[in-house]
Amino acid sequence: MLKLVRIEFTKLRRKKLLWLMLLSAFIMPFFAFLYFCYFGETGIEPVAFYKWSAFGFTMFIILPFVLGMLCTILMYNEQRFDMLKQLWIVPVSRLGYFFSKFFVVLIYSVCFMLITAIASVLFSVLPGYVVFEWDSIFFLLKKCLEIALFTAFAMLPVLAIAAVQKSYIMSVCVTLIYAFAGFFMTPINMYIHPLSCVSVIIARNGDIPGLTLPQTVHIPMALLCIFLWSFAATLFAMVILSRRK
Amino acid sequence: MNDFVIEAKQLTKIYGKQKAVNCVNLHVRKGRVYGLLGRNGAGKTTIMKLILGLTSVTSGEVAVFGQNIRGREKRVFPRIGAIIETPGFYPNLTGTENLEIFAKLRGTAAPGAVKNALEIVGLPCKDKKLFGKYSLGMKQRLGIANAILHDPELLILDEPTNGLDPIGIAEVRDFIKRLSSEQGKTILISSHILSEIALLADDIGIIDCGVLLEESSMNELKKRNSKYILLQVSDVPKTSLILEREFHTKDYSVQDEHTLRIYDTSLNMGEINKFLVMQNITVTSSGLCNDTLEDYFKKITGGEGIA
Repeated sequence: MLKLVRIEFTKLRRKKLLWLMLLSAFIMPFFAFLYFCYFGETGIEPVAFYKWSAFGFTMFIILPFVLGMLCTILMYNEQRFDMLKQLWIVPVSRLGYFFSKFFVVLIYSVCFMLITAIASVLFSVLPGYVVFEWDSIFFLLKKCLEIALFTAFAMLPVLAIAAVQKSYIMSVCVTLIYAFAGFFMTPINMYIHPLSCVSVIIARNGDIPGLTLPQTVHIPMALLCIFLWSFAATLFAMVILSRRK
Repeated sequence: MNDFVIEAKQLTKIYGKQKAVNCVNLHVRKGRVYGLLGRNGAGKTTIMKLILGLTSVTSGEVAVFGQNIRGREKRVFPRIGAIIETPGFYPNLTGTENLEIFAKLRGTAAPGAVKNALEIVGLPCKDKKLFGKYSLGMKQRLGIANAILHDPELLILDEPTNGLDPIGIAEVRDFIKRLSSEQGKTILISSHILSEIALLADDIGIIDCGVLLEESSMNELKKRNSKYILLQVSDVPKTSLILEREFHTKDYSVQDEHTLRIYDTSLNMGEINKFLVMQNITVTSSGLCNDTLEDYFKKITGGEGIA
């Protein structure tokens, strides 16, 4: 599997869009910086800043959208240039193929959230809005890694759908709908959409002020939802990839 | 135990209501070049896909190296190199990088395997040109390089000379011949170009509308191709009458209003000429001819020739 993951990264050489997408990790930290700059507050609670910079739109919209785009990029060339039959006669197993792509998404997700975390610290500590504390930084890192990990799993359905599509447009549309559906489903029912479940897991201890959940927190239920969606997505991908020759 | 590297029995593939491959019995012998000849859409690629397990068999069976591929891919595929249709690669990578990916996937241990494969097909190693900017011929060459990268025992090449210039075609042909004669590789090659197959293949399978009409060795086919006397005369109906009445043969065919073919070559050509002239029939030309492979193809497919 490690070999397949390495090869997946080789396939992404010279894809400038991947680096540009990483830059979007700076969007919310920068807006948080502007927000607090506008109000001119200093000595604010680190978590209040990080809620803006990392636990808000980054978690709900930006990261899922970026990962969705990555899923499309990962699948697109092989679909468009009819490469799958070449891979199958190597042979590469369908499951190995799918999960190697998933691990790329996972690693990218971790990198993205680490950049978000670093940008959050830089935009909060350097201008003096937040006092430098190791505890708050560890908290931020821990939460960012949790977001990265669970969001990557929550994006498995998009990765499976990307295996069906031969065009960028449909995949991007699906990603947008999926990300916004997760965002809008959270107040209605938190245990239906995997991205809603990610927010449940992240806000489970109530340690992110302002991130309130409408239902009782039930972590096993959230994990089960993510697992079921991931399992269904994997099955769907296997069926689709078996037909793609 | 037989020496067939590929053996298909009653192989059938149906897409919807269309029979793409119909009860094909195909036999590719070890160390031979087998040419699968047929028009576009005859079912050549489908047969190759069926052999490689890239599409499911509707009925019948196919064995490669004596075993069914399905479920044994890991054992069988490393022994096969293949190009099916136009080979696709990653457009953002160079040819070398693309081959390195496949070398890693196959676990090709031989150092310099990529360089060697590229040299064989005449592509530069470590070139900075991206695959997306390759010409069709270069893409085809890279596909061939990928097929031979891991030194397989069996090569399945679906129209490998597509898009190549005449020199490239000759190079690939020589290379395929060498692979077979010097290294003893078994090669299944498809083409819609008859001359290609005629120059390359030891054995030939002629396919039309999904049906394998003929399977034999090229030597056998050449021997079997009928000899005939070609007559060009001023009056074909009268000549036909003379052949039947005076020479007691019906083994002839009328080609057009001035041409006849007499397949009974035991007849004395001189006698026929003499008799026809005596009957005031002008004989423009007469001679002993051999059917070309193209004629044969026309005859057995019951249609037009093939380039």
